[in-house]
Amino acid sequence: MDDLSKSDMKFFSDQQHCFADILLPHEVQARIQVVVLNFLKILSSPDPAISDLPLINRKSSNSRVSEGILTDVSWIFLSHSFCSRSLMKANATKAFIRVWKVMEMCFEILIQDKRVTQRELFYKLLCDSPHYFSSQLQVNRTIQDVVALLRCSRYSLGIMASRKGLVAGRILLQEPNQEAVDCSACGSSGYAISGDLNLLESLSTKTDARYIVVVEKHAIFQRLAEDNVFNQIPSILLTAKGYPDIATRFLLHRMSRAFPDLPILALVDWNPARLAILSTYKFGSIGMGLEAYRYACNVKWLGLRGDDLQLIPQQSLAPLKPRDLQIARSLISSTILRDNYRQELAVMMQSGQGAEIEALYFNGYDYLVKYLAKKIVQANYI
Amino acid sequence: MDISSVQKLCIHLISSAVQRCRLSEGLCRLSVVLKSSPPIIRVSISDTGTGSCLEEFQDLKCNREGIGTEKWDGLLSIKTTSISDNKIYHYHLNLRGSVSARRLTRLPSIPKNDAKFSGTEVCLSISETIDALLKDIKHYFQKMLILKIPSVAAELVIERGDASGLRCENVFLPNESSPLNFSSSNVERLKSGLEEYVLKHRNSLNNKCDSCFCSREKLKISSGVASSMESHRSPGLIVEAVIAISELSESLCFRSSGNKTEVLHFKDFSPSSVSIASLNALTSIDWRSYGLTLVSAVDQVDHALIEWESLPPYLHIDMVIHCYHKQYPGKYKYQPDRHLIKKGVKLALDDLKEKHTGLLLSAHAVKICSYAPDLASSIAGIILSSNDLKFRSKCSTLLELSQSQAIGKQTVEDRIKEKIISVIETNDRKPEKIKEAAPFLFEDDRPQDLDPADLYLEEHAGGDNVFSFPD
Repeated sequence: MDDLSKSDMKFFSDQQHCFADILLPHEVQARIQVVVLNFLKILSSPDPAISDLPLINRKSSNSRVSEGILTDVSWIFLSHSFCSRSLMKANATKAFIRVWKVMEMCFEILIQDKRVTQRELFYKLLCDSPHYFSSQLQVNRTIQDVVALLRCSRYSLGIMASRKGLVAGRILLQEPNQEAVDCSACGSSGYAISGDLNLLESLSTKTDARYIVVVEKHAIFQRLAEDNVFNQIPSILLTAKGYPDIATRFLLHRMSRAFPDLPILALVDWNPARLAILSTYKFGSIGMGLEAYRYACNVKWLGLRGDDLQLIPQQSLAPLKPRDLQIARSLISSTILRDNYRQELAVMMQSGQGAEIEALYFNGYDYLVKYLAKKIVQANYI
Repeated sequence: MDISSVQKLCIHLISSAVQRCRLSEGLCRLSVVLKSSPPIIRVSISDTGTGSCLEEFQDLKCNREGIGTEKWDGLLSIKTTSISDNKIYHYHLNLRGSVSARRLTRLPSIPKNDAKFSGTEVCLSISETIDALLKDIKHYFQKMLILKIPSVAAELVIERGDASGLRCENVFLPNESSPLNFSSSNVERLKSGLEEYVLKHRNSLNNKCDSCFCSREKLKISSGVASSMESHRSPGLIVEAVIAISELSESLCFRSSGNKTEVLHFKDFSPSSVSIASLNALTSIDWRSYGLTLVSAVDQVDHALIEWESLPPYLHIDMVIHCYHKQYPGKYKYQPDRHLIKKGVKLALDDLKEKHTGLLLSAHAVKICSYAPDLASSIAGIILSSNDLKFRSKCSTLLELSQSQAIGKQTVEDRIKEKIISVIETNDRKPEKIKEAAPFLFEDDRPQDLDPADLYLEEHAGGDNVFSFPD
């Protein structure tokens, strides 16, 4: 009976699903205008009041898992629990006003049909309202508040994702009315992934690769690109240089839809924090839970894994930091991870040690490529 | 009761006379005549109030440590009659007499011949400088004016028996031009009395100061009355508190007393000293919810002195507290009630806040109001950047602005700011329990649960949940 009710949940999980719409500028303007009108209505009513701003809760308590029934892809999404920002609460007044200020600025940006990066937005806000904004992080969080209030994607607000990711390998990318770019000829720096999601959407792609390899570290990406690994193993290399940004995930997702037969393999350090990065590609995130679920992909964990540890010397193992262990505990308790991942995590936690991919170089500078090739051929990925 | 100085003795006798006048129906006259033939002053206090009873005078105790025999011989000459009496009784009372029986001497009564009146005359001779005595008596009368007891007309006559033979009179009447009439309640009179007191710069002037108080708005006054039920264990007590706040743009007349407030006290229609209960009541009030911070409240004998942490430089607060029995004379000893005093003062403060928006805003409300301009600016910014005319016109309608196109950002911003501040001020007046949650911004979003947003601190820690990194 238990299983039956669980599967009920799977089918109706959509009703709990709260998501941010991808909207056109005039639609977002309309939503902002609705917010203003409602606020003024309540302010001018016979029993006037200053309304609170209801924001979708971006906490684990409000997160749910959607397990892929017909597909292999599961993802994290947010449900209908709200928190509110109020003017009247002593220490929360500034946070309330920050939401309005960002909304005002996004409104202006959309009217002018522009797009800005988060960094540019931060500087504009800093000049305009220095008392309210002191750091990029604060601006980013306020942007997420606006996303949670208006339930539209960050990109719809006119804010571009950062330009972090890189692509290299056997793929041709062509922007409309531009020359096609052959990513295998880009050298070790690869093709920079734009932060403009519309542009990424409009790219046409062509490939003869058989695999997509997501590399967590920039250094490893460079090494592999320099060694032209994609000519030895027909593949596309992708990196976000650390924690994946929306643009990189967007492109990866596009590629996975365009080339559904290509397995997506992840190459990360043997470390809970890096496994968390892999999980973000795989399942999405809570922080951007209203949008991130869209770009979840079926990423498989190639390495480093537990049984690769025999390939590296003992002295290259380093103790895990307390934060790494904290992340491990949090991951293990999350219901979305499969058992095989959990087992790997358990080994990590038990040994209390981690290892970097670079440790493989102990066996020679070309060992990494051999390692990759062997694992791919053996389909040794989970 | 113990008398410690001739001034206090005289004041006490005058005060009793006032009470007798108050209790009688109809107008009464109170006369204080000082005949000075140095070094002796012959004091005569006469009133046309109800007749007095001997106990009043016999209860006075005067010990050697108080008034020296050289100042007063202890003799009081009393003539008194009530309305129903057919003669005027005449007594001599020697308060320094050792044996109680010897103290009272009855003198022949004076027949009234069917005339209907009542009154008392008390005479005594003291050896004191007239100026010291005069100062205290005048001070007493000026304070009594605050109570505005309606039916008493008081006069102070001084006859200097020196070569000049001067005779001067001071008359103390409640102000003729006040809007009070006989049916005004005690608290209305107290309010009016304090108002005049403040308008005359605390009785340092003879008339209202027109330059400082050029408009009605400069002085804001309110009152609160708290009463306790009568029972056989405790008397029914009434506490009236009146608070006056003056906002003077510059202290033109004199340097204002800064961050201090004198709290005048009256007990049973007479100026009184400050009780511990009163001090406790004043210190236990939550002044912060009225935007004030109390530093200290000390007893300064005839008033309590409150020191505030900081007041706006032009703002001054005056206060008077009057505690009295519902029935006079009370059968019971007077027990000032701390809770009752606190309640009375709070009612006065709440009344002030209720009647005047923006006054006595709590520190919290002031802080939030300081953010109102920025909020108004953001909202106005959105309205004015929009090129949707319907939206702009709807906003103009909601803000009660004209529909013309030429509305500037400043106008819109100011209107929004006004409304926001007004809501904050209104909310501030409501007691904590009644404050409701703000209405929801989007009608169709009825949340299952609503938590206040935490300050993102736990998300920033990041450790709890790996999936919560923002991009």
